[in-house]
Amino acid sequence: MSLRIIGANLVVSMKTFSREKSVMFFTIAFPIILILVFGTIFLNQDNLSFGLHVQDLDQTNSSAQLVKNLDFNGKIKITTVDPAINAMQYAKDKKVNLVLVIPRGYERALARRLGLVGGIPNAAFRDPNASVTVTYIYDASASSTSTKIEILRAGFALVNQGMSGQAPFIRAAETSMLTKNYRFIEFFVPGIIAMSVMTSSLSGAVNMNAELRQKGVIRKLSTTPITRTDWILSNILYQFILAVISAMAILVVSYAVFSVRLQINAWLFVFIVLEVFAFGGIGMILTRVANEAESATAAANFIMFPMMFLSGSFFPLELMPGFLQTAARILPLYYVNEGLRAAMVSVDHTAALHYCAMIGVFATVVLVVGINTTKWDEGAA
Amino acid sequence: MTIEPEHAIDVENLTKRYGDLLAVNDISFHVRTGEVFAFLGPNGAGKTTTVEIIETIRTPTSGTVCLLGMDVATRKRDIVPRIGVLPQEFSSFDRITVRETIQYYARLFPRRNTDVNGLIDLANLKDKSHEQFQNLSGGLKQRLGIAIALVNDPEVVFLDEPTTGLDPRARREVWDVLLSLKKNGKTVFLTTHYMEEAELLADTVAIISKGKIIAMGSPDELIESNANYLVLTLKTIHGTLFDIIRRMGFEPVQDNHENIKVRVEHPDDIRKILNAMKDAGASSLSLDVRKPNLEAVFLKLTGEALREGPVKEVPR
Repeated sequence: MSLRIIGANLVVSMKTFSREKSVMFFTIAFPIILILVFGTIFLNQDNLSFGLHVQDLDQTNSSAQLVKNLDFNGKIKITTVDPAINAMQYAKDKKVNLVLVIPRGYERALARRLGLVGGIPNAAFRDPNASVTVTYIYDASASSTSTKIEILRAGFALVNQGMSGQAPFIRAAETSMLTKNYRFIEFFVPGIIAMSVMTSSLSGAVNMNAELRQKGVIRKLSTTPITRTDWILSNILYQFILAVISAMAILVVSYAVFSVRLQINAWLFVFIVLEVFAFGGIGMILTRVANEAESATAAANFIMFPMMFLSGSFFPLELMPGFLQTAARILPLYYVNEGLRAAMVSVDHTAALHYCAMIGVFATVVLVVGINTTKWDEGAA
Repeated sequence: MTIEPEHAIDVENLTKRYGDLLAVNDISFHVRTGEVFAFLGPNGAGKTTTVEIIETIRTPTSGTVCLLGMDVATRKRDIVPRIGVLPQEFSSFDRITVRETIQYYARLFPRRNTDVNGLIDLANLKDKSHEQFQNLSGGLKQRLGIAIALVNDPEVVFLDEPTTGLDPRARREVWDVLLSLKKNGKTVFLTTHYMEEAELLADTVAIISKGKIIAMGSPDELIESNANYLVLTLKTIHGTLFDIIRRMGFEPVQDNHENIKVRVEHPDDIRKILNAMKDAGASSLSLDVRKPNLEAVFLKLTGEALREGPVKEVPR
């Protein structure tokens, strides 16, 4: 192993990186764009707000009070619908996925139920069977409709329970597993770091080996004192530098734009190193298996894209069907995602160590196989 | 004082097989120190396989190859710093400039203080020294490849088809660089399928066909021993000249430009033909006498013409 040769390779690689706009884009700009786009979406979800169109046919003080209370402390933005128009037609014309119709007689029914006489409750006049039926006019194909209806049902259940005069039997207390109240963006950032390191390591290994081999550059290098060990070490070091640059860029933007609160500790670098080893090793194996640079790149994409979506980089595994959740647990990126989240979000060192061990074993195996399958001479070039 | 060995390269009974394909078939030859040795043959003849075995890139199936007195199969680490290689279809890092590329390759060798400017001058690349590799023409890339092959001041330089695919002007520019190597006393192993290149540059030419060396010697020796005749070319408006020459016992041929070509074994035959023309009152518009070149030798020995390459000689 020669430090002089490894240094020379690094200089060439970094110069190529600084002059290759597409590599710069996918290493730095692309993950930043993802952070900005998804971060903005997730930030809005943290302050989730739905729209609800309400047609008050009763037009009384009581019905107006109900409409006012339906905003659930700002969770639902209320739009009132003219009582003179057809609610169904309105929903179709305005492409509204849910209209709640409060019927005429709402206030009268409420007064009977509460036994109000001249606005004063009188138990003798209370009618426990008095009720009112609100109508949901909805578009079942809209994804937010069922959520909105569930929220309304929960709200109406609370009203009904309150009117019964009985104290609720089950009460809920909330205790977060996390020491701080983290937002979804803070869970998202480690996933993007893991995804970014994976793409740069895998694509980088394929490009460095397959393309240069196809062009004959490695054949030329094999007639110089550079050894296979020098070449692989300098490539891995280069991928690690790119991974750190990419991770730093993501973190800087996340802190600057979204004011994220994450723990930056040694685990971050440990997971980046292991991920570079793991995906660099996969890249070396692909390069050996594929005959042409194009097929190696296609194989790398075939591995990367499903893994991005299945391993929980972009959204929680809980949103996926059970069999996909099981499948995700055999993907190396899943362990990097979970490990980084354990280290940076929940600061659970035991969990981080567990995930580190899993990805570490995988990285070791893949890297050893990758190094052994990388041919240097005898026509490998 | 060190005494240079007489032979820079010794190849004995070299054979290379790829499965059922016999790429190199039991060849033996020597390259003298300080000479330009040309390996001449058509695509697929076994040139690149042979040269890559000598360069330590490939291992032989059988036979021995010694480079600078060392066995290439076991002494790669010692050999590599002492040789320079221009591979077939040389390529490098696209985004790296000419100067940076030379500096990079220089750093791969233990030798320090490489004269980068001197190499740029030698390859006549001064105006392009800040140009990225991807922007260079084919000829410039080859000249850069030659400069890179010299970064370690090698004792033996291997040039695998250095001018294939280049236009005539670029080819001549590369030849100028190779002639300066020859002038500097480097041992050069050149593989080519250009006869003119071998004739111009080589001290020794080995003709390889179907994995076997079928002839070897200096260009003059090869021509002398395999094509020892002269070709007389006449251009005339005298219609009976063709018949007159034929009646003299020669076998003239007429080409597309109405030139009459006559193969003669002895210079006296030319005098006889010219006298016969004079007696018949025929005059020639032009007259040319030439010795055959290596191409004629190759045609005679192999029965096939050399073709423009490059084509991969062996499967990967």
